Amino acid sequence: MIARGLFPSMTRARWAGVAALIVLVAAFPLVYDNQYILTVIITGLVLLVLNISWNFVLGVAGVWNFGQLAIYALGGYGAGILMLHTPLPPWLAVLGGGVIAAVISILLAFPTLRLYGIYTSLLTFAFAEIVQYVILNDGSGLTGGSYGFPTVPGLYSSLSPDASTRAYYWTVLGVVVVSTAGLAAVGHSHLGIAVRAVRDAPAYTAARGVSPLRYRVIAFAISGFLAGIAGALYISFNQSISPSAMGLTPMSIDVTMLVIGGLGTVFGPLIGTALLTIVQTALVDHPGIELTILGTFLLIVVVFVPGGLVGLITRTRNRVAAWAAEGEGTGEETAGAAEAPAPVPRGDPR
Amino acid sequence: MSATDVVGILVTTFILGSIYGLVAIGMTLIYGALRILDMSQGSMVMIGSFVGWGVLVVAGWNPLVAILLAFAATFLLGTFTQLVSVQPLMKRRHEIDFEMITFITTFAVAIVFTNLALEILGPQQRNVTFVIAGGINVYNGVNLPYQSLAMALVSIVLMAGLGVFLARTRWGMAIRAVAQDLDAARLMGVPVGKLYPLTMGLASALAGIAGVFLGGLYFASPQAGDQPLLIALIVVIFGGLGSLPGTVYAAYAIGFIQATAEVVVGTTWALPILYAVILLVLIVRPQGLMGKPSEARL
Repeated sequence: MIARGLFPSMTRARWAGVAALIVLVAAFPLVYDNQYILTVIITGLVLLVLNISWNFVLGVAGVWNFGQLAIYALGGYGAGILMLHTPLPPWLAVLGGGVIAAVISILLAFPTLRLYGIYTSLLTFAFAEIVQYVILNDGSGLTGGSYGFPTVPGLYSSLSPDASTRAYYWTVLGVVVVSTAGLAAVGHSHLGIAVRAVRDAPAYTAARGVSPLRYRVIAFAISGFLAGIAGALYISFNQSISPSAMGLTPMSIDVTMLVIGGLGTVFGPLIGTALLTIVQTALVDHPGIELTILGTFLLIVVVFVPGGLVGLITRTRNRVAAWAAEGEGTGEETAGAAEAPAPVPRGDPR
Repeated sequence: MSATDVVGILVTTFILGSIYGLVAIGMTLIYGALRILDMSQGSMVMIGSFVGWGVLVVAGWNPLVAILLAFAATFLLGTFTQLVSVQPLMKRRHEIDFEMITFITTFAVAIVFTNLALEILGPQQRNVTFVIAGGINVYNGVNLPYQSLAMALVSIVLMAGLGVFLARTRWGMAIRAVAQDLDAARLMGVPVGKLYPLTMGLASALAGIAGVFLGGLYFASPQAGDQPLLIALIVVIFGGLGSLPGTVYAAYAIGFIQATAEVVVGTTWALPILYAVILLVLIVRPQGLMGKPSEARL
């Protein structure tokens, strides 16, 4: 079975659970028709697409790319320009935004190859700052400069406001489902294994004949395309985009979402984005307190909960499973111990 | 470009370069000794600017008091930052990507400081007026105010003082020993557990003093540390992360590029041009002006 090969960890019960969850979330706007709540959820889902794309390059490929928000915004601007200045249908403009972002992302992949760790993050960060300043100071009228992009019709301009909100909800939800499943499948494929191998042991992987250049470019292409789609969905739904979409504050919020959820995991972005969207919505009138709490969260999770919430859940489940296996029979202790996570050495190795 | 412009550029280079150097030298000290790119340095500049505002405007005291208080406050906060964002990770530093994780944790501390200031003091920009009036007419109307001259000179003295501290004192030598080889230093009896907070406190205190000055040149606000942090990052990359002399040269070079860009193409394009320079540096010569690939730092 293809599904078995692509998603080896999915049992029939889990498929049923995931399907039920998707149906429930998809049915939500039919049951609860509150425009404000739906707008919050759609914005959160667009952010989730961006976070899924960032998680792929940051967590799975292990490249400390802090230019992802610029690529996301460029996808949005690209889609907006295609919508306003070409006769393309809006959905093709959204795809075009993804393609533009992927091309820019690929170009960014080449200089990062020569650098490691902290230097990569500084290079990509410098790239993002330049993009932001160029758009802010753009006087040609193409991007609207600091005032934001001129109003675009978006994907569903012919529908009534209520119907168009629902249509966006389902569209973005569809993109989230497809991209989560797609990247989960990629994670188990040869491509995913190669990308992670380049992350964990670049020299060894290269010596085994796997080209780091090739897989880094592919990782940047996939992640850039998805980020561009997220940006294009953002500009369609909000009918505009401004340089503040790639500022320092949204960047810190997105990083926090990824780290709290669990970097490099399939469900980490989902959990982190959902959790922080709720926190943000609850504290929407107190931005100072909101970001203080967020920074504290980030610090605590990085220091004390390595692997984020997904890591915590996995460890707890393994421990419970080990404990249950221990209780089952007298001779089962070794089997239970084998399932428990390896104890993390706490002391200094020296 | 007239001769007046050139003199103006050089005066700005002198003032900005000295103050940027003060912020950046702290970052490079921390990176050289601890292998941490401390993103909380910007918030130390911001806190310094508010200390300057509190002492000079609200209390109406002497600038010297502002400098001393900013030093004390940011020294303590820098030590605190080290204790919450770096110390708990020290035992696991061989199992994790230490540079990246501390990059994120110090960034988290910066978010907390900035937003606490936003919540407590409000988003408005506050002028920090210095009491030193007057200035020197350098050339044909190019004015060098005494207060800017004083700021630049104090910054230079502090940078030189840091150099003497590292070269001559026991603690300074201990910091250099840790930068060269942590384990060998520990075997020789260097109290690493005390040294790390001290180093980060010292670097933060320099940033705090720079904050008093930058507050005087611009203003105090919760965002006052953002741009100095970005420029300090540019300076330390350009100079070579971890190299103190490289950082000082780079600070003046970056100050010069910024001053020239402001005159030639306007203020709004100064920062993008600096970033373009740094993009080139990272692509062509990642170790910067005087950085060494990994050994023999400081």
